[in-house]
Amino acid sequence: MALWMEKGSQPQTESEIADLDAIAALKESAALELKEKGNEFVKLGKKHYLEAIDCYTRAINQKVLSDSENSVLFANRAHVNLLLGNHRRALTDAEEAINLCPTNVKAFYRAVKASLSLNLLNEAKMYCENGLEKDPSNEELKKLARKVESNIIEHQSHEAEVSNAVTVAKGLVSAIEARKLKMGKAMYRELTGLKKPVLDKDNILHWPVLLLYAEVMSSDFIEDFCETDMFSAHLDLIFSEDSPPLPWDTENKYTRDAIELYYEACSGTCLSTAKLLQYFLEGTAGANVELPCEDENTTGISSSTTISAGDDSASKWIRVNERRTLHDVLRESRFIIPEIPVFFVVSRRSSFYQVFKSGKWSPQ
Amino acid sequence: MATEMEELVGFLSSPSPPVKKAAVDIVCGLTGSEDGLQSLATFANILLPSLVRLLSETKEVSQPAAEGLVNLSQNSNMASKMVTIGMVKTAMDLLYKPDTSITRLLVMLLVNLTQSDAGIASLLQTGDEKVQGLYVMKLVRSFCRSSNESGDDSFEHVGSILVNISKNEAGRKILLDPKRGLLKQIIRQFDSSSPLRKKGVSGTIRNCCFEAENQLQNLLLVSEFLWPALLLPVAGHKIYAEQDTVKMPPELGTALSIDREPVDDPEIRIQALEAIYLIVLQEAGRRALWSVNGPRILQVGYEDEEDPKVMEAYERIGSLLVHGNGTEESTAEATK
Repeated sequence: MALWMEKGSQPQTESEIADLDAIAALKESAALELKEKGNEFVKLGKKHYLEAIDCYTRAINQKVLSDSENSVLFANRAHVNLLLGNHRRALTDAEEAINLCPTNVKAFYRAVKASLSLNLLNEAKMYCENGLEKDPSNEELKKLARKVESNIIEHQSHEAEVSNAVTVAKGLVSAIEARKLKMGKAMYRELTGLKKPVLDKDNILHWPVLLLYAEVMSSDFIEDFCETDMFSAHLDLIFSEDSPPLPWDTENKYTRDAIELYYEACSGTCLSTAKLLQYFLEGTAGANVELPCEDENTTGISSSTTISAGDDSASKWIRVNERRTLHDVLRESRFIIPEIPVFFVVSRRSSFYQVFKSGKWSPQ
Repeated sequence: MATEMEELVGFLSSPSPPVKKAAVDIVCGLTGSEDGLQSLATFANILLPSLVRLLSETKEVSQPAAEGLVNLSQNSNMASKMVTIGMVKTAMDLLYKPDTSITRLLVMLLVNLTQSDAGIASLLQTGDEKVQGLYVMKLVRSFCRSSNESGDDSFEHVGSILVNISKNEAGRKILLDPKRGLLKQIIRQFDSSSPLRKKGVSGTIRNCCFEAENQLQNLLLVSEFLWPALLLPVAGHKIYAEQDTVKMPPELGTALSIDREPVDDPEIRIQALEAIYLIVLQEAGRRALWSVNGPRILQVGYEDEEDPKVMEAYERIGSLLVHGNGTEESTAEATK
């Protein structure tokens, strides 16, 4: 029998037609057999999944089956891909199955599962809805639909949290820039942890403030020091007559009238705007947000002014006038805030005072 | 009579200097009376541009021309017409030309022109983002650099311009913008001995405090200058005791520990109190007032006050402080 055909020529003779029919029938039964084999392999378990996929693929490639039969093949292959964790491939297979036979509910089901695993929540929702249109009473689809809904809600609430955290952090950055404050790296992280300043509803900053007793390097914390408060008011409270003396201050040298407050001048280099934003996002929902690349020109808060720590040790410690507000002191030209303000407390009446004032003492 | 007036206005553009001079002197005289203003009004469309042209000429015509314009601008229709023909820009351009002899009059003209919203918008230059606020900055700088001491205080009236523009939200925004630093400069002028300057500053601050709800930080962060300007006028006559002043920042404490000149004008005292009231409506404002021992100052000042309207203003603040959280001293802090 001559099995080739000249290009463009139609089967002329009855026998030629019969031959073609026979080939088609062969292909068809081969494809159906392959499908059965694939199903068998799936039942045999994990080790045979790849073989199952191979069977389905070959069956599809025969290109002889009807659309609805091919749809079943694609849906089956999607199922195995899901089992193998090939979610992307499972999704394309399920989609093809749906294209070929829009009433193939199993295909919808698998499309939803694949989309969920890929976190494509909108697609998942769409497939759920379309599937339920075709088969409204499908319990499994309904269950999936509920899961998709709850994933969407969780995602939205997380997005809202992140967006909120970013807004708050950006608000802090712009408040700091507007006040022309200089921010540097943290210095006493082990004492301050992740504490950050807070902007209240009137756009006034409240700072957590660290007080270090230089003589013994013990610390105290002022949780909420509003920038419009004066130092004297807070010191009055800490060193009031009713409050107990500091435990290590056995000779009671640290009384209200004897204490003096200092900050370290030029204690480091300034943070760029991007780094500052990052710092404010640390520990919040927005901690992992990708920030836009920093523009060379917009280094915001004077990161170009790397004021070197004075070699002039006498002016390393700058005295704080108690009758000034926190904001006024933070604004001073040589104050670089180490993420949160740090002030050193000494007592005029202690022998340590001379050492401190001579500039020979250093926090390390 | 109409044709005579027409002729007169026409002479303003005469090529002959003595004719021009005579005409502008007559026109200027006419603007000093109601009847004169009425009859000139009909020829506004020719009159105004002619007078404007004369502003850039020699002193003998520019001065009467300027005076005439100032008088004319007291009428709101005339003022609107002037704003429409770009009078604000013209005035600003002329103001900063060297050797100008009509500075004082130009400033007064701007005061009148900024009575209307259109005039304010024109001065704020809100139309053009690139130059917005530039005129205002120039005027504030001139206001602060010149002073009463030199005898001829030509920028004295700028304070009144600022009062006008601060009635407008866009104006307040520019004045309060920390990047421009205008508020700080303006407040410092409060110490001037010129009552006009003092009043201008006081009125401007009061108007700006209407932004306390949204821009409190821009007000409080210049508190070093703001509190003295607001509290000293209403602190009464007495010398304060040390137990009171020690709780105040030095700029207040020192001033209140010595004899001082009282502020006689009750309107300034009322404006200061109204400004304080607006600040104290906000929680952070109350807190800030407490932190400088402000309520004590108001208490002592109230004792000395006799003017009923001013007393009312003190009382309004008093009730806010009592009902708003009166115990707002510094918050508790934890000790490790």
